[in-house]
Amino acid sequence: MTEPAAVPTGTDFAKLSYLIIDDFESFRLSMREMLRSFGAEKIESSAKASPAIQFCAYNHVDVVLCDFNLGEGKNGQHILEELRHKKLLKRSSIFLMITAETSKDMVMGAREYQPDAYLTKPINRAMLLKRLDSLVSQRTALLPINREIDLENFPEAISLCLKYLPSQPRYKTWLMKTLADLYCQVGDFSHALKIYEDVLNQRDLSWASLGRGRVLLATGHYDEAENALSVLTQKHPDYMEAYDLLAQALEKKGKSGQAQKVLEKASELSPNALLRQKQLAGLSGANQDLVTASNAWRKTVTLGTHSIHDSSENYLALGQSLSDLSEGDTSSDGYANADEALTTLRRMERRFPDEENIKVRSRVVQSRVHAGQGNRQEANKALESVSDQLSDNETVDPELGIDYAKTLFRLDRHKEAKTLLGVLSNRCADDPLLLQKIENLLDEPVGFQQKLQARTLNRDGIKAFEANDLDQAIKTFDDALAIVPDHAALNLNLCQVLMKKHKSTNDNTLLQKAQKHLERLESLPAQHRQHRRLVSLRKKLQGMMT
Amino acid sequence: MTSDNTDSARKQVPNIDFSMVLASAVHDMKNSLGMLLNSLDDLRREQGEKIGESSRFNTLQYEAERMHNDLVQLLGIYRLGENNLSAHIEEHFVPDFLSEHMARHTPLLEGLGIEFELEAHDINGFFDQDLLTGVLNNTLNNALRYTRKKIKLSAREREGYLVIAVEDDGEGYPDNMQHTGTPEFKALDFKSGSTSLGLFFASSVASLHTANERKGSIRLHNGGSLGGGIFEIWLP
Repeated sequence: MTEPAAVPTGTDFAKLSYLIIDDFESFRLSMREMLRSFGAEKIESSAKASPAIQFCAYNHVDVVLCDFNLGEGKNGQHILEELRHKKLLKRSSIFLMITAETSKDMVMGAREYQPDAYLTKPINRAMLLKRLDSLVSQRTALLPINREIDLENFPEAISLCLKYLPSQPRYKTWLMKTLADLYCQVGDFSHALKIYEDVLNQRDLSWASLGRGRVLLATGHYDEAENALSVLTQKHPDYMEAYDLLAQALEKKGKSGQAQKVLEKASELSPNALLRQKQLAGLSGANQDLVTASNAWRKTVTLGTHSIHDSSENYLALGQSLSDLSEGDTSSDGYANADEALTTLRRMERRFPDEENIKVRSRVVQSRVHAGQGNRQEANKALESVSDQLSDNETVDPELGIDYAKTLFRLDRHKEAKTLLGVLSNRCADDPLLLQKIENLLDEPVGFQQKLQARTLNRDGIKAFEANDLDQAIKTFDDALAIVPDHAALNLNLCQVLMKKHKSTNDNTLLQKAQKHLERLESLPAQHRQHRRLVSLRKKLQGMMT
Repeated sequence: MTSDNTDSARKQVPNIDFSMVLASAVHDMKNSLGMLLNSLDDLRREQGEKIGESSRFNTLQYEAERMHNDLVQLLGIYRLGENNLSAHIEEHFVPDFLSEHMARHTPLLEGLGIEFELEAHDINGFFDQDLLTGVLNNTLNNALRYTRKKIKLSAREREGYLVIAVEDDGEGYPDNMQHTGTPEFKALDFKSGSTSLGLFFASSVASLHTANERKGSIRLHNGGSLGGGIFEIWLP
């Protein structure tokens, strides 16, 4: 068997530069040898991720041939993410992922960046030649478009796509997908939708269904989006992007419980996508499902080890979630959760030592964890170690301040906590998200279990009120307020019931009781969503009392 | 104490999802074989003619390929059973797809001295690239086993379907295997050594390809330009 000297393709391999990334020297050598036999000259190779990424930072590379599995440390997907994310590799350059897997299970569900092609081991010379040749031909044919996209000149890229569509049938799918993406990028959803629907009218193709779902979602057609995407996940249970969008549609419709179920299913099928875990963690946390939230934050932290998405924020969130979960739970499970929270936070301090506020953010949560386990002394010690950074309510970072207030409540320093939150709500008057957090904390400065209990009582009280069972309603709201005495909506709910009962009984003690509850809300910040209702009820009550 | 532990260990065994254990083992074996095939390719390249014409070496590679394909199919069928396999149909330029596919088999074909012909019309087809690769690997591997000197891979459009055919110049399929439609997943025949695994997988993949009311299928018959067996996959 002799190797043909000349390469019978249209590609000039000598012009391009190559980077081979693989931890096995024999593989790097054999790749290099194959590339050489095609006429390639500029070939660099690397056994590890960091030097490879470094190389791309300072050199132009046309073709990256990267093994997915690089042993310890970063894998091929991490490299791809980092290169594309930091824009070290242009869109017009080719990234070939080499996998030992015949299926793409390992890399399936990576959310943002996908390689230009997968090449499955074993790879022989003929295969590599053929694959490179077609990729490079495609790259050459589509280069003008990709160049415009690299320059973020989307309108020009759009008109080039339109121009190429009739003349390049070989790349029709690529052109249609890119064109629709570009329309979405520039906000022209109706043209994007038209492309997807034209494709779907001819044939049921999953990428077009997904695109249609994405447009419906972006244009606020949540019912239709939910419908289309749930059909898509049934037809293609392995299509991860469909789950992500379906969860978003459900969330938009306020069905956050269902949205969480969808993301749980997707994370089960494809457990290695960090951003999906993170989304699940946030959503389940908001749904008060602390067990799921803690698990998802834990996975987010673990997956972050080698990823560009690694962040102290993930560690902190895991610590906070475990802190809530362990609070007041002195069983062995509670102890284990508390212990993990502390370990996670200490690791965060070590891993991100130069970040601003890292130590104080960590200690504020650590203190709360200790308090939740009944270790008042340890809790105070943790706070004292950073007390100088928490002394000024006017300058403390708002997120940190809110977290600090939460710890203060747990240490029974209610007055300090309320003062701090009052200052913060003035400072954050134009940030609705932070205001919401402040309100929630003012309303419910208690542990997670008690919070759930109070919420259930509140719901029951409203039900009793609606059923016109006023005595039951008063009793239930009283019970709830025994847990969260400063809860604004609850206090106002109770006043409303008391005032209604007064109408039929004329019992003035009812009004006096209502008066007392309104007084509790004296310090309610004007930014609070219940503030208006407070003012109007106060006025009404005054009218009834005179 | 010791006997207690043994008891509890025993009790746990029935809880294991055995098909999942099998699937992970198959996954592992498949990856090992992939590494083995890689080394064989390297070896062939390093040793050149010395080894390329050795029938033992070619048998080694052929059988390893066969096992690899079987395992890929096994995993595919497992995922079908789990309702976790679906066809991601996209539009592809057929000549590109087939010539890339052929490239994988080139060293072995050359080593075995088998002539090879690719005849693909310049058409686009709609199919799941990965699934079809699995089917064609197996079919070509099978053709290698039964052919004498020549194998032909072709693609054309017929009756609105994309028809990809693998032909050989061997004895052809026995009468009882020639048919159209879905073969049943029969028990394997130990005498002939043939299993219906490959055909079952091929036909499952074909039927995952649907368009409106039309559905893909496979057909087996004899004759054609080479006079041996012909495997066809019809995709809408």
